[in-house]
Amino acid sequence: MSDLIQLLLNGLSTGAVYALFALGYTLVFSVLGVINFAHGAVFTLGAYFTFFLIGGAAGANGLLAGFQLPVALPFALALPLAGLASAAVALGIERIAFRPLREHGADPLLALITSLGAGVVLVNLIQLLVGAESYAIPTSAMRDLPAAIRLWGGQVRTVQLVLLGVAAVLLVALSLWIDGSRSGKALRAVAEDATTAQLLGIPSGRMIQIAFGLSGFLAGIAGGLVGLSVSIAGPYFGIGYGLKGLGVLVLGGLGSISGAVLGGLIIGLAEACVPAELSGYRDVVAYGFLFVVLLLRPQGLLGKVLPTKV
Amino acid sequence: MDASLLTQMLIGALLGLSVYLPLRCGQLSLATPGFYAIGGTLAALLSTRVNALGGSEATYPIHSVLLEMALAALLCGLLAVGVGALVLRLRGVYLAIATIALVEILRVSTLNQDALGGAVGIFGIPQPFNEPGGYAVFTLLLLAGTCWLCDRLERNRLGRAMAAIRDDELAAACQGIDTERTKLVAFVLSAVVAGLVGVISAHFLNSWNARLGNFDASITTLAFVVFGGSRTWAGPVLGGLVLTALPELLRPIGDLRLIVFGLVILVGPLLLPQGLINPALINWIQRRLGSRWLLPSDQGGAP
Repeated sequence: MSDLIQLLLNGLSTGAVYALFALGYTLVFSVLGVINFAHGAVFTLGAYFTFFLIGGAAGANGLLAGFQLPVALPFALALPLAGLASAAVALGIERIAFRPLREHGADPLLALITSLGAGVVLVNLIQLLVGAESYAIPTSAMRDLPAAIRLWGGQVRTVQLVLLGVAAVLLVALSLWIDGSRSGKALRAVAEDATTAQLLGIPSGRMIQIAFGLSGFLAGIAGGLVGLSVSIAGPYFGIGYGLKGLGVLVLGGLGSISGAVLGGLIIGLAEACVPAELSGYRDVVAYGFLFVVLLLRPQGLLGKVLPTKV
Repeated sequence: MDASLLTQMLIGALLGLSVYLPLRCGQLSLATPGFYAIGGTLAALLSTRVNALGGSEATYPIHSVLLEMALAALLCGLLAVGVGALVLRLRGVYLAIATIALVEILRVSTLNQDALGGAVGIFGIPQPFNEPGGYAVFTLLLLAGTCWLCDRLERNRLGRAMAAIRDDELAAACQGIDTERTKLVAFVLSAVVAGLVGVISAHFLNSWNARLGNFDASITTLAFVVFGGSRTWAGPVLGGLVLTALPELLRPIGDLRLIVFGLVILVGPLLLPQGLINPALINWIQRRLGSRWLLPSDQGGAP
């Protein structure tokens, strides 16, 4: 029984991270119709921000060797701050890599390249500043919380519960905001048709910024949570999550919020069920799902079928 | 310029053409590194095995390289027919993501199969040429052949069908163009070119591992096309040459070079949205030369 709980919890907490990741893609995709390839780099930055905000010190290999912030915040404070810093970075990416193309009416395909360029710059800046080594956010950052608690007769890592709880709160808050609030409705209107929304008096440019800010915030939080529960495996560690996030995105349906959450949980649970002797193939699970879904139901599990132009 | 950098640049140009071919009919496929890796792995496995059997000759016979290339072309072509029939129904960003998934599946499978080199890779791939210049000439010949093919594809019936699909798939279908088949031909050609380059690359690099065909390679090769321009084959060739040389030329600035490379692909599309070889430049050249050097004139205009 406790094994099953552990399996479920592993799957759900990985899945929750994927869901946060895919939501970030979805927010931007729904308003702009393009994929932000710098998203993985923002996720990575979020993890490093969290690491430094809790008082971590840089290793010896970067320009910032031995650098340490004068403060050591508790994790509960460091994580939202890291999220905000990541949101600021995402806004910068929008300003530099997306807005000029939009203003010139250029091919949306180009945003794939420019955002990737922004990602390459960010990842290599990280490497230049703090080196390529891995960093671990110590679980002692959670202060008074115990490292593990007993639950249904098994030991459960508190980190995973924290991760699951934070992700659940964020996902619920986001869907409440999008469904219920005035600004959430404005965002959906822009997603439907930016030009019409603009004509109706909705500031499309501002809504696009909000989408980027939120997606950066979610990515930063996800990065901090993964840094805490696993570790920061160097500047490139966001890329793998970024690619799987794409799989989750398509599985759930591009542009669908609930689809992104469902897709994340399905892939997280499926990966947790891969037996240990096949663990090398765990990374293929998401892409296998993706292929099957693309072939059987290209609009994704919860996506809408759009009528094609005639 | 030394011959091994030149060979790398020519390989970059060929990979750029491989991405460009599906894009000629509007298909954004990022599968090139997957087929490149298939060619490379095949060449690495065969040549190290053959050398072990036949005793180590001083130089690996060139006809064996050609045989590997034929096998790689066949394997990549067949796989492309199978995969293409499935994924070419998808459009735009869906096709891009499906091809990224294909590349990742191939990479992870190679990584986990020790028979295919596993995580370590395959070392000591025999050399058909003693001098790096040999590779440069060999790769240049392949590039010339591929450019000739692409040039034909900008002028003949099949090529015009591709351009029609890029401009409007539905309208093309209404005019009686077999859009499925045309797209599949472009995809298969792209796969074959990538597979052939993989064979050369494996010998040139002397070792091969699964990381050579990863997502980074997908994006780098796409950057060749976007940077150079996708209106005519000269664009991806120029993009491949320049962007492959850039990180090497920037080597003196050390750790900053990848940052500068990132800045180039970030700023390049902002300054030149249609690439270096863009319609305005093509028109200008055509006016100056009064020739059909780059493009049939009826294709030079609309973006």
